[in-house]
This record gives sequence, C-alpha cells and structure tokens, in this order.
Amino acid sequence: MSPPDDIDLTRPQFIGAKVMRREDPRLLAGEGNYVADIKRHGMLHIAFRRSDHAHALITNVDVSAAQAMEGVVAVYTGADITRLANPYQATSRMKNYQATFIPPLAVDKVRYVGEAVVAVVAISRYVAEDALALVELEYESLAVLVDPEEALKPDAPKLHDDLESNILAAREFARGEVDEAFADAAATAGGRFHFTRTTPVTIEARASVAEYDKGTRTLTLHCTTQIPGIVRDKLSEIFDLPGPRIRVIAPDVGGGFGGKTSLYSEEIVACAIARDLGKPVKWVSDRMEDLMTTGNAFDEIVDAEIAVAEDGRILGVKADVIGDVGAYSIYPWTATIEPVQVVSFLPGPYRIANYAARVRAVATNKTLTGAYRGVGRPISVFVMDRLLDMAARKIGMDPAEIRRRNLVNDDEFPYKAASGLVWDKSAFQACLREAADGIGYDELRREQAAARADGRWVGIGVACYAELTGVGSRIAVAPGMPINTGTETCNVAIDSTGAVTASFGLASQGQGMETTLAQVVAEELGVKVEDVDIVLGDTASVSHGTGTYASRGAVFGGGAGILAAKAVHEKIVRVAGHLLEAAVEDIETGNGDVRVKGTDKSMTIRDLARALYSDMGRVPKDMRDEIDNLEATKVYDPFFGTTTSASHMCLIEVDPETYKVEIKRYIVVEDCGRVINPLIADGQAHGGVAQGIGVALMEEVIHDKTGQVLTASLVDYVVPSAVEIPSIDVVHVEAELPGTVGGFRGLGEGGTIGAPACIANAISDALSPLGIEIMEIPATPERLFRLVEAAKAD
Amino acid sequence: MTAKISITVTVNGTAQAADVEPRLLLADFLRENLDLTGTHVGCEHGICGACTVLMNGDSVRSCLTFAVQADGAEVETVESLGSIDELGPLQQAFREKHALQCGFCTPGMLMTATDMLRKYPLETDDDIRDGLSGNICRCTGYQNIVAAVRSAADKRDGK
Amino acid sequence: MAALAASNGDAKVLAGGQSLVPMLNFRVVDAPLFVDINGIEGLDLIEEKEDGGLRIGALTRHFALETSVSVRDRFPVLHEAMKHVAHLAIRNRGTIGGSLSHADPAAELPMMAVLLDAKIVAAGPDGEREIPAGDFFTAPLTTVLAPDEIVVAVDLPGLPAATGWGFEEFAQRRGDFAVAGVAALVTREGGTVTNTRIALMGLHDTPVRARSAEAAFGESGIEAAAVAARQDADPMNDLHGSADYRRHLAEALTRRVLTAALERAAQ
Repeated sequence: MSPPDDIDLTRPQFIGAKVMRREDPRLLAGEGNYVADIKRHGMLHIAFRRSDHAHALITNVDVSAAQAMEGVVAVYTGADITRLANPYQATSRMKNYQATFIPPLAVDKVRYVGEAVVAVVAISRYVAEDALALVELEYESLAVLVDPEEALKPDAPKLHDDLESNILAAREFARGEVDEAFADAAATAGGRFHFTRTTPVTIEARASVAEYDKGTRTLTLHCTTQIPGIVRDKLSEIFDLPGPRIRVIAPDVGGGFGGKTSLYSEEIVACAIARDLGKPVKWVSDRMEDLMTTGNAFDEIVDAEIAVAEDGRILGVKADVIGDVGAYSIYPWTATIEPVQVVSFLPGPYRIANYAARVRAVATNKTLTGAYRGVGRPISVFVMDRLLDMAARKIGMDPAEIRRRNLVNDDEFPYKAASGLVWDKSAFQACLREAADGIGYDELRREQAAARADGRWVGIGVACYAELTGVGSRIAVAPGMPINTGTETCNVAIDSTGAVTASFGLASQGQGMETTLAQVVAEELGVKVEDVDIVLGDTASVSHGTGTYASRGAVFGGGAGILAAKAVHEKIVRVAGHLLEAAVEDIETGNGDVRVKGTDKSMTIRDLARALYSDMGRVPKDMRDEIDNLEATKVYDPFFGTTTSASHMCLIEVDPETYKVEIKRYIVVEDCGRVINPLIADGQAHGGVAQGIGVALMEEVIHDKTGQVLTASLVDYVVPSAVEIPSIDVVHVEAELPGTVGGFRGLGEGGTIGAPACIANAISDALSPLGIEIMEIPATPERLFRLVEAAKAD
Repeated sequence: MTAKISITVTVNGTAQAADVEPRLLLADFLRENLDLTGTHVGCEHGICGACTVLMNGDSVRSCLTFAVQADGAEVETVESLGSIDELGPLQQAFREKHALQCGFCTPGMLMTATDMLRKYPLETDDDIRDGLSGNICRCTGYQNIVAAVRSAADKRDGK
Repeated sequence: MAALAASNGDAKVLAGGQSLVPMLNFRVVDAPLFVDINGIEGLDLIEEKEDGGLRIGALTRHFALETSVSVRDRFPVLHEAMKHVAHLAIRNRGTIGGSLSHADPAAELPMMAVLLDAKIVAAGPDGEREIPAGDFFTAPLTTVLAPDEIVVAVDLPGLPAATGWGFEEFAQRRGDFAVAGVAALVTREGGTVTNTRIALMGLHDTPVRARSAEAAFGESGIEAAAVAARQDADPMNDLHGSADYRRHLAEALTRRVLTAALERAAQ
C-alpha cells in the first residue's frame, strides 16, 4: 500500500500544525482525572488546623477532644511528624545563603499565618473540619516582622534561632564602572519601585491523595504537582524509601504556573499519615488555605537608577533589591530564586556596559515565596523598562526609539549581558519593529495627541524582554541548588501491539503536552499524531525526571522526544530494510507506514513490530541482538539553554474620574523559535498576558501589621474576569532557530514577564501630563487616585 | 450529627434517591455520592464558577446550594452535554477554538454558556464577556472561550 | 413561621443562599436550624399596581426582575441596576427578599429600595407590617427585622411621568460588590425640576439618600450637588478603596447620574 500522493515526507507534517488537542475530549466531557476526583476504598480525609498567629511560640497543644469526636480516626501534631519523617531543607551552594528547616507541622514555633499545626484525619472532610474546632492550641506571641526593611536590620528579632540573621541570601553583580557612567550622564532617572506580593490562584487548588500498600510497602502519592520527579526524590530521603517504593503521580492538574512547583508540607503529612495508618488519605485545599499557603511571589522592592547619554544610549544601571521571601526558604528552589533572578535578568535585552546590583532575600512572617510564572523576570522588566521610559521622557525621546537604540542587534550575538547571562541569539529588534507595525504605533501616537486635546488620558506602553528558557546543565535554574534541572528523559517504545508510547519526566497542567509532544514524536517516527500516546507526570515511567517549570517543556520534551524517536526510527528502518529487502537509505516512514522509496513495497509499522516481536525467525538473530527492540531512552541536555524574547505594546485609557484602566489594544510579538502548535503557543501568550494584567492592575496579597492575610478569599484577592481582559494579538517572528534539538525555544512565561511593565508604562504615558510615574503595582484605581491627588496638590 | 433527610434528585435524566445530611452541598452530592466528578469545586464561595450546574434549567452555583434544596429538581451537569466519543456542539466548539487548557474551569464555563445561549441574544462579544464574567479562568485569557461561545451563538442563530 | 418562632432567634432563613452559604462554607456563621423558604408558594409574583408601581414578592429571583417587562417599563433604573447584580448564576437563585434582609450596604437592591421609597412588607407570628425602606436598614448587614420575621413583599410606589433616571456603579470587576454607586431620579414638570432623589450605595453604613446633594441640586444644579454628595457619604476604608477615594467617587458618580437623569427627564 503506498502513502497518499499529497504527503511530502521531506517537509514537516505536524510541527507547526494546528492539531486539535488530544486531552480535550475527556476534559470537555467531565471525565478528567484530577486529584480531588480520586477515590479509594476506605479513604480518609485530612483537615489542617492552621496558625492564626504570624509569629509565636506554641505553648500548648491538646488534641484529646478532637480525637474523641465521632468519625475522627487520628490526630497528628508536629511531634508525630518529627517521628514519622526525616527533616529537610532547601540547600544551595550559593555564597551567603542560609537554609531553613521546614517542619511539615509546626513543632515549637509558628512563623506565618496559615502554617499547618495539627492534622485531623476523619471519615469525611466535613467531620474533619468539625473536629478542628475542638483542637486546643495556645500561643505566646512574638514580635511580628512584616516589613522586610525592618527584618533585615541587625537587631531585628530572628525568625530562625539557628540562623545568623533574617537575610537568607545576598548577592552582588557588577560590570564596568557604574559611578563614572552616572557622572558622565546627560540624564538620570529612577527611584523606588515596588512590585507587590502575588499568588498564582490556579482554579484547581492543591490536593494530595496518599496510599500505602502494606504488602509491597509502596507509597503512592497522587499530587497536584508540576515536579513529580523532584518530589519523589525528596520524599525518598524524607521517608527512607528507595525509588521503586515511592511513586509520585500527577494526573490531570488544573493549572500550576509555578505555584505547584514546590514540595509542600501537606504532601509530606499526607504520606506520613498514609504510611502510619495504612489507609489511603486525601487532602484537598480549600480556597482560603490556597490563598494563605500556596507559594507567593513578586514581593520585591527595587531602588534603581539609569544613566543615559544625550542620544539615549544607556550608560549605566544600578539597583538595590530587597526580596521579601516569607517565613522559610522553599524547597527546592530556595528563597534565592526570585530575588536573584531580578538582578540577573535586570539588564534585559539591552546593551549595558556598566552595571551594579545588589540583592538581599529577607525572611518575614509571611507565606513562603516560591516560583510564579516569570519568577524574577516580571520585576526585572518592570524596573528596566520603567527606567527606560523615565529616561526617555527626560531627554524628550520616544520610548520605542530609545529601545531601538539600546536593544542588542542581530550582529552582536552571542551577547554577554551585564549580569553575566549570555544571549545566544534572538530577534530582539525584529520583535520591537513588528510590534510597532502590528499595533500601528505612529498612528496611535497621532490618536493619542487628539485624545489628549480632548482631555482624555490615553497611554501607549512598550516593554521588551529576554529570558533564558530550556536551560541545560550549564546554568542551574536556581543557582547552587542540588537538583539537576538541566536534563530531561524520554523513552519512546513501540510495543508488541504496534502501539507507540512516549514517556517523559515532564508533567502537564494544561499546556497541551499530550498533543505537542505527540506531534514531535509522530513527526520523527513517521506515524500519525493520534497514534502516539504520551505518558507524563509519573515517576514510575522514567528513571529520572524533574517536571515542568521554567518554560522547559518544549525544549526538553521536544529535544528528548526527538532524540529518542530518532533512535527508534533508526531501528525501524533497519528492520524494514530486512523485511522489505531494500537498502536502509531507500526506506522512509510516514503515516504509520514504512515503504521503499519509489516503489509500492510497504508495510505498516504495526506489522513490522509484530514481525520483530512475535513472529519468531522473521528478523535474523544477529540483527535482533543489536537492536533488541523498538525502544529507546534518551536524556537531553541543551547545556546552555536558549534565549526567548518578545516585545509587548498596548494602548490603554484611564478614566479621569474613576481612575479605572481600560486596556484597548494589546500585542505580543515573540521569537519563540519553531512553534510546535500555534493554537497552543498563542493560548500560552493569552493566558500569560491575562495573568500579567491581573498583576498590573488588581492582584495583591495583603498582610496587615500583625501578619494576618487580608486577601484570603477571591472577593479580596481579585483576579481578572473575561471583562477585564481584552483580545490579545499574538505574532510569532520567524527568526533564526536556536541550536536546541528541534529548534524549539521555551515559551509560557512571557505574558507575565512583559505585561506588567507594558501596562505600567502605558499608564505612566497616559498620566505624563501630570508628571506621574508608576513606581508601584498593582496600579489600582485607589493608587492612581492618590497619585493624581498628590500631583494636583503640587 | 443532624438526622439525614431523604431526597430524590433527577440528575442528567436519572432519578437519584439518597439520604443526606442537610449541610451536604449539591457539589459534594454530585461528586461524592453520584461519582459525577465533572463538576469541580474551586472556591466554595460562589466566585469562581467552576461548580456551575443547571438546576431546573437555570445555571446555579452547586457550592452554594444544599443537596436537600435540589430535592425534586432536575439537575444537569457537564456529563449531560456529550460524551468523550461524541462531544456535544458546544463542547466541540470549545475544542475547535482551543478554549481550554487545564480544563478545570471548563465544565462550569460550559454550563454557564449553555444557560447564556438560551437566555441572552449575545449580540456582541462584549455581551459574551459579560455573561462569562462569573466564571474565572487562569489559563486561557478568555479570548478563545469567547470565540467558542460566539461560534455556538452563530450556530444557534443559523449564521 | 412556626419554625422560626420556635427557634428563639437561632434559626436562619434560607432563600437564594447566595450571601448566606458562602459564610457557612467559611464556617464564620452557623445556626442549629435553617428554614428553607424557597418552597413557599405565591411569594415570587410581580404585580402591577394601579398607581404605576409594582408589588414584588420576596422570593422573586433577580433574573426575573432583570427580564421583567413591567420592571423595565415602570422602573428603568431598577432594570439597569439588575444588570450589575453579580452574575447570571447568582441572579438565577438570589432573591429580592434575601438581598434586602442581608442588607449589604454595597448591594444594588437595598439602594434601589431606598431610592424608590419602597415599603418592605414583613410577616411574623403577629401578622404583617410595612416598613419604609429608609427605616429598614440600620447598620451594615443589619435590619429592623425581628428574628421571627421574614420579608414577604416589596411595594414600590409608582413614579411620576417625566421622571428621568441615572445609575452608575463602580466596581473593580464586573459583578463585584460596588466600591461605590449612585442612582438618581429627577422629575421635570414643564421645564422645572419638581422632584429629585439621589441614593448612595457602598458609601455609608447602609444605603442612604443623599439629602444635601438633593438640596444642592435644587438650589444650584449638578456641580453643587456632586460636591455636596461628598458630605452625604460617610464611607469606610477597606481593601477595595479608601474613604477619600470613595468620597471622590461619590462626587464623580453623582455628577454622571444627575446629568443622565436630567437628559432622560427631558425626553
């Protein structure tokens, strides 16, 4: 049987195609398998009693009344967990880093409101929560630190008695002579920038189901995690269980965005209890717990200044960053990940010869900060791009023009940024150009002038960024960490039924990897996309993997998938050469068939598999001894990682009476390398920008002076609805591909990286006649009201 | 514990009899008692919309309704819109427009959209956004969901 | 009725549940008994009255008000307000009786009751009584209802012809509780303004009439009224806005609604 004439087997068939997602039918039909859906016979339910003190000694814990309640099976305290689990902390080889032990249930001290103190296990969640009220807890209050500038003072009370101070990490970056640069400047601009605390708010809150098989002594944790491999490896140490006896499975997960990339106390407690009781246990976070305990992000104070020459060239940048990282250093990333990224990515895609930056990560009595979409980069871009706009205003230059003059040009790659990061190559200038064209920049400036004359507050925003994605072993995602984020594994196997399975250590939270990775593997093997089954999120399926974070899915999954599929393809071709009696060079695959070029001699890959596996003698022994089977496992290390970049532009209008900001146009032009599935790539941009808009305009985690979380419901922590998000134009620039296997760049975090800066710049542009610069976000109507009142008073 | 109450709720066309505590939420009744886990719980305070089902034809928050209040009522969940092998037209529109990523808000979106399509003309996309404003999504940025509902509205109107 | 009376004030009335059940789910509210009144017959009717007004049963769902032709024709300001009430799923269940009894100062229906001079009909073991909206709300989430009384109907007196209306609500997101809201009714007879009512939402402990703004409007017009509205407001500071910002909104929104009401009255 010959393949149809219209299939050109030399041109990509699936890469770049808008393939409809394979995950959709079950998710649309309500047949998804999320952790909260999992039921096991005899399953018990956990509810946590949490601290309502931000900093206190625990002076009394009495669980007897809770234990006695009908329907309660057991109650666990910090002392119990100490007995059942080894202690752990997030270590780092970074200089000046102080690790903190994280007790899964607080033992002698609580350090943030929401910290878990007691776990009640009962026949239902309803009963478990009833019993929480019967747990007696007494505290002795300690001084509460919610201001990181207070917490870093030498005489500040220490959150962790075994540490020298509350400064969990400190780092400096320097290049050139920054003081000279400022002395020579035609203009300087800057001030204190404040990017406030955010929380990811996945619609599916975190959940765990832990079950322990007494016979095989195997612990299985079903968990809403992005990092099953990291969790498995650490739980193995915490419970002294070797790999085969501890399995972590991330089934369908309802969003992650980084909030599910940390190891959480509840996961450890669930495992400890399952093992101790020998019963399956389930914990599902409610929204209040989620808003109080899921890793926060973006709490950074940046004092920064820029110096520019008359022609707009950046002469120097300096920054002093204080990161408020909450009460403990989160596992695995450590408290360093976000604050250090702020300064290492601050120079951005710009040519900067002189740079000096310092960062300190400071512990406070608040929720731990972890990784949230973009990590430190949204802050880096906010500061850098605000500085550029402020400088541009001072010298009377257009914001797009000042960027044109400072963006690294194509002929300057590879470019070593001022912080030491290397941009291999990316279309910085082309993205800016196409964003300006796409939004009709010059026409918008004319419209803005007319609107201004009418008393309307219309603003245009620009932001350009660069990031490293798919970062290999050369650079750790969080510096000095003891886990390996630089490789990922793929096993491609064609089994004796002829079915193709590709297994990865990655995990999915909605990015469509069951489809995109199937596209990649199908392309490489020459089978149909719908005939490739993708296995993700299960530590039993690969010997090592970490998970999905840092925009690594396409690069690592795509790369490892191609390598493994190529290896299997070679085997197919060899066997086919024998079975079809042709030279290996004359064999090609496509549509699930193998055939001899230029003839109609062919067979299905399925039949080939049967011939190899099940028809004894059809394939000679010496060939089978060499190839073994139609399976290959490959580990991909991109080593350096690759630069992804984008330009964002927007048009906004501020209501001059209510100070509400309306976003009227928004465009993202990104260089994300070879796009596997444009539907999915665009969807990532839409979603990221939407979260960026939330961060820019309305999202803020607020603690009061005593450390109480004031934003503990979705009424108070405000995320955008369909009305607040405009249509977003997404353009992919076809630029030179990176050197990664497959030519993929990472994408996914770009929206949150660029949008806050773009919108803050647009609002500053709209309010520039009043001399207002946005230094703090979210730019809520309240904040704008204050700024305008202050400006009018002057 | 409070005495249980006997209820009969018709769910997706099938009468379901059960004895339930008065405080059992309809969302939990569907998910735990009936194993219909397509309806998701996202906040338990009526803001996120993930738990939306139809009760006597109207979209309601199943996290704000007690199971006992559904006694004698007809409840429809996402499972009634179609099956994995045969998605309903609205589900098909969502698939074609890539209107879901993680899928967790999706059942609520589908039920809300079903009610919206019956009750409102939805002349403009702003009308669609308004109607969807009670369903929060964190993955998609809403754009493709609006496109999917627009496509379904066009079909409804014979366009 | 009997159940409520027997519970000695410990029972809670459950109608739409859209405000009560979230509090139950958070476990900040509890009661030994909930009396579900959804099954009571005859409490969900919208009756047209001869004076041009409406009598609305307490169990009338928000969606019914939103889509009622009688409401749209007789009280267009109420029709407009209904579009801002939360979201469709909430409007399908929430009731006017529930909303008024819950008495959130940032909710639309309490403010409408005050604007429209509603008479709130309450029934208890001793019979029915009529409570003017201006007397009904006493503090945030507090009304004059006795523990064994429930709202059974809301009586809206008819409006004079040539009455224009304006409604403006400011919220951070569509459907959220208002940060501030203002509504106005202006009646013009032969070129002169004969009646002005301005009501404030989210700007005081309860919905209130903006009396100084009404007086200022009568004397000096829109601008003076808008500025005077700042005095009528006594807003609180919270996460969603400071008192200063809310006062600012009181002025801005009053200006907008009076402008709209005047225009509509002229038509």
